[in-house]
Amino acid sequence: MEDLLDIQGLKTYFFTEAGVVKAVDGIDFHVGKDEAVGLVGESGSGKTVTGLSVLRIVPRPGRILAGTIRYEGEDLLSKSEEEMRKIRGSKIAMTFQDPTTSLDPLYTIENQLVEVIREHQKGLSKEEASEGAMKLLEMVGIPEPELRIKAYPHELSGGMKQRIAISRALASRPLLLFADEPTTNLDVTVQAQVLELLEDLREKLKMSLVMITHDMGIIAETTQRVQVLYAGMVAEVAETHSLFVKPMHPYTEALLQAVPRIDQRRELKVIPGNIPNLINPPPGCRFHPRCPYAKELCWQKVPILEAMDDGHMAACHFWRELSLTGV
Amino acid sequence: MQKETEPESSTTVKREVATAARRERRGASQWAVAWRRFKRNKAGLAGLFIVLFFLFIALTSPWLAPYPPRSFQALYEGEAGQPPSWKHPFGTSRAGLDIYSEVLHGTRGDLYVGVGATVVAVIIGMVIGAVAGYSRGAGGDVLLMLSQVFYTIPLLPLILLFARVFSILVAQGFGLTLILLLLGVFGWSSVSFIVRGEILRVRELDFVQASRSIGASRHRVIFRHIVPNILTPIIITATLFIAGNILTEVVISFLGFGDVNTSTWGITIQEGITYMRTEWWTPVFPGLATLMAVLGFNLVGDGLSDALNPRLRD
Repeated sequence: MEDLLDIQGLKTYFFTEAGVVKAVDGIDFHVGKDEAVGLVGESGSGKTVTGLSVLRIVPRPGRILAGTIRYEGEDLLSKSEEEMRKIRGSKIAMTFQDPTTSLDPLYTIENQLVEVIREHQKGLSKEEASEGAMKLLEMVGIPEPELRIKAYPHELSGGMKQRIAISRALASRPLLLFADEPTTNLDVTVQAQVLELLEDLREKLKMSLVMITHDMGIIAETTQRVQVLYAGMVAEVAETHSLFVKPMHPYTEALLQAVPRIDQRRELKVIPGNIPNLINPPPGCRFHPRCPYAKELCWQKVPILEAMDDGHMAACHFWRELSLTGV
Repeated sequence: MQKETEPESSTTVKREVATAARRERRGASQWAVAWRRFKRNKAGLAGLFIVLFFLFIALTSPWLAPYPPRSFQALYEGEAGQPPSWKHPFGTSRAGLDIYSEVLHGTRGDLYVGVGATVVAVIIGMVIGAVAGYSRGAGGDVLLMLSQVFYTIPLLPLILLFARVFSILVAQGFGLTLILLLLGVFGWSSVSFIVRGEILRVRELDFVQASRSIGASRHRVIFRHIVPNILTPIIITATLFIAGNILTEVVISFLGFGDVNTSTWGITIQEGITYMRTEWWTPVFPGLATLMAVLGFNLVGDGLSDALNPRLRD
């Protein structure tokens, strides 16, 4: 089956005054039709920048340097800005982390939804578009949509804003949605509702979903396949189940250990240190300064992403020797 | 998964509370919210009243004032240098000006300079600040440096110099507009700092990124999402600028660099200050007018900055 999205060797760097930040440094990533893929990693691992790169809306001073991004076989990086504009929203869409800032505070919900609807369906009258806006609100389960539609963002709760942000991203029925930390700023109960909504919509609209998150719990709940990023590079790729049961990369193990469990009495393990400075990343394997299993080879040589029989891939020199703990 | 099912009674209560809250808040744009908060601010309202009062006078002064501007009629009537009376409520100057008429006409002159110079400064400052904030590179840096240079220049001496040079070189009668332009052309730097900073802030917000992500054009992102969101600090600054510009005009005239052919508060104060001991009314009434106008605009500015401050939610 051909992939909906296929990224090869993507490099997106930020040319800041302090130096070149290698936010995404050679990432391969693909998403199949109807698939839900997780993109996991700490802040600064390159998850969001990957999404922004696909839409080609990387803010300056960031720039895509190398790689190919194919959507339905078409190379997105060779498209003109005008062509990209037609793809954004209608074919590929993205929702953003913070629902309190992802809606413009100056316009009503109706206004903002109508704007998107008419962007991609030029002939539509205002009335038809606001009818469409109403349908969108119903689709994402906003209670009393006829009242909410006239509201301004500050009059709504965080969960509602996130639902509306999702409905806006889906206004033109894209086939691929990047959901960037859709639940990070929400209450736990609302988180579950938003995840369920995304799952529902994915099935109903037959779209693919890329779930960008650092929360392994969300990954377990919503995805079929996971890609773990560390410091702008791919650490591990696997079926979600396989990744949880049998992690192959020490970083994945550390991420799994950092998830609180109510069924086990154990101390929560934190990953020592911070994500490395991406201007001067550590040599060799970028994870080696924080890795409990690191040996000399780890800072001498960059590990390549190796595939096992079942398609499970890991970028670690010692994946054969280590027996890592899953959950 | 937990659905939103609650006991009947609690749902009813919640619905009532929600309805009440909605009646209060539904469809309240940021401007409506700001106005509601401004209304509760007594000082701000007083300021607004003062400002509207002066605006009314500025618009109607030709009909309100008993004497035309710069008319020394009282001298010919033998009433020069007289204290306030029924005929001359604010008295007359030694040269024969009816101070009441001069204060009314001066309102028009000073608001013209105060508002006009602010408009000029805001336009220049917005353009330069916007470009400086939007272009990351040498161009933006140069404009930022330019703003800093203008910020460090001592404004008053420079304006005095230009005013004197121009009034010698250029024909008379250009006076007030000249001062207006000088104040605007040299006073934009703080506006440009604010605009630049706001653009740098707003352009990073998620909704800007979000509107790009659904296919909005660059033009739409800038004019529909960025510009309207940076207006509030500009409005606040502009209000305070008007007060500052009125005061500067008075200072310029007081120092003898003003336009003697036009009625302004500064000119009247300047002409009366020499005889202050015996004829106190000549400088005091225009001085009071200046005080009130500056106070009014400052109160409105402060009220606006409270009302529009998102961190002071009620």
